[in-house]
Amino acid sequence: MLEINNLHVKLEDESREILKGLTLSVKPGEVHAIMGPNGSGKSTLSYVLSGREGYEVTEGSVTFKGEDLLALEPDQRAAKGVFLAFQYPIEIPGVATMQFLKVALNAQRKARGQKEMSAPDFMRHVKDRAARLNVSQDMLRRPVNVGFSGGEKKRAEILQMAVLEPSLCVLDETDSGLDIDALRVVAEGVNALRSPDRAMIVITHYQRLLDYIVPDKVHVLSDGKIVRTGGKELALELEEKGYADYVVKAA
Amino acid sequence: MSALLPRTAAEDSLGVSLPNRRSEEWKWTDLRRLVTAPYARKIVAARDADIDRLVASSPFASVKAKRIIIVNGVYDAKRSQLPRGEINAVVPLADDVIVGIGSKLEASGVSLVFDGNADLPVEIVHVATGAAQQAIGVRHTISVAANAAATVIETFVGEGDYLCNTVTEISLAEGARVDRIKAEVESPEATHLSHVIATLAATAMLRDFTLTSGAALNRQNGTLTFLGENADAQIAGTYLLKGRQHADTRLVVDHAVPHCTSRELFKCVMDDNARGIFQGKVIVRPDAQKTDGKQSSHALLLSEAAEFDAKPELEIYADDVVCGHGATAGDLNHDHMFYLKSRGIPEPDAKSLLIAAFAGEAFETIEHEGIRECLSAYAEGWLARR
Repeated sequence: MLEINNLHVKLEDESREILKGLTLSVKPGEVHAIMGPNGSGKSTLSYVLSGREGYEVTEGSVTFKGEDLLALEPDQRAAKGVFLAFQYPIEIPGVATMQFLKVALNAQRKARGQKEMSAPDFMRHVKDRAARLNVSQDMLRRPVNVGFSGGEKKRAEILQMAVLEPSLCVLDETDSGLDIDALRVVAEGVNALRSPDRAMIVITHYQRLLDYIVPDKVHVLSDGKIVRTGGKELALELEEKGYADYVVKAA
Repeated sequence: MSALLPRTAAEDSLGVSLPNRRSEEWKWTDLRRLVTAPYARKIVAARDADIDRLVASSPFASVKAKRIIIVNGVYDAKRSQLPRGEINAVVPLADDVIVGIGSKLEASGVSLVFDGNADLPVEIVHVATGAAQQAIGVRHTISVAANAAATVIETFVGEGDYLCNTVTEISLAEGARVDRIKAEVESPEATHLSHVIATLAATAMLRDFTLTSGAALNRQNGTLTFLGENADAQIAGTYLLKGRQHADTRLVVDHAVPHCTSRELFKCVMDDNARGIFQGKVIVRPDAQKTDGKQSSHALLLSEAAEFDAKPELEIYADDVVCGHGATAGDLNHDHMFYLKSRGIPEPDAKSLLIAAFAGEAFETIEHEGIRECLSAYAEGWLARR
């Protein structure tokens, strides 16, 4: 589904490389965890996959369902099935959450040549999913993420994911700022979306989230490269030993 | 000073001297230079079909309201659902350019008196039917008796090149409330000059909103005076401007007595070479302790050539007050854009969504849901035509 090959990325206005030859292959149905110390390039990877401005790919390729992902605009990537759950979801004053979800879903459907979803069908589509994630009607009426608590924002991200039904979910530090109860709700929401034709990349600093979202593979990202890959037990090892072995010593 | 300048064709035909940029409050809107055509008062016969078509083009056509139709500055008895009323100056008129032009044009209009709670909004639809370079003078008075309430809409539509000069006087008795909504969607070639002059007695409430989206040249003045304590005024506006449109709003809010609250919120969207100006002056007199006055104007500039100027002026002579102002200008927020695009919303749609949200913040000050929806629909149409 996703093939990242020797990916080199730098910030547009700096010469320093952030990703230095990252290679990763994700198949449908798999959940990959990417763990690593701060500054290893975890968030950069998520932004490059979703198409945020400001990053320059200097070498390598990203292929998604056989297509050059890097050639697509962010909205085209979304319509093809890429979804990024933001570490810090953006507040958008004046745009009601419900309206936002409807515009986004129908834009994606239109881009895929599908019919727009009718208002009653859409209401049903959102309602069940919102209930499962503990997202109230009041939250849906409020502007996107405005005045939401940290936990509400993360639940709202997962609701967007559930509504848009992407085939590749990238979760960028979805556990940050969550207490244990909120973490459980979010993880249950994510697990409900696991399916044989959907892949997930779970980016996290801590092992805690992976107790709930159990990965098929765990990768250690350090200094812009994947330096070790293992099964779910690798996360436990990292939790015990920390990232000391993977942090690049300052010269 | 203007007496020393030779009269322009426009000054000759209007019979007044027009201010120029050397006058501080006109520095961004040099009327003498900007109004060039010889606009003159004319008796213009309009075709029924034109009138009906223009009346139907009001953004509020779907709102259930009692309607008054003014055609080329003249009350249309046949189409109006309310009588004209007797115009009597309820407020002493300020010495002001726009009031001066109005009296030269022998401006007329309607007098609305509300004694109780009006059940339906009153919409005054002003229609200009494309007679070449006519000057239209309108003057309305609105008085609301103690504890009475009313919603009044003033809509300006038209075709062709004309000048519309309009003065509205509002007098609110104790505990009275008026919700006034104005839509300036004049012909793209028109010049629109207006002045709303309001006085509020104790505990009165004014909710005023203006959409500015028509006319080539706009100057809208507002003068609001608190005469009694614990009165409350909110003045909001949205600009939706493009091409070479020019819109200048100048408000003077006079806190002459203590314990009054004033809020000003302007959301201005400028595309192409459009230019928006907001000048807001708040005066707090020495006795007006516990005044709470806040003013904000925000501009969204959609092109490199668009421009916004804001001039907040606070004149505070009392020491126990809360007053503030804020002004911002910028383009669309890149993080917002990326977030919307990352959810599959294409760039043009994402832009429209964010522009509508920006402009719509001022609509939220309006209590009448139907009117709010009409404004949202207007904004949507404007964005689609961009």
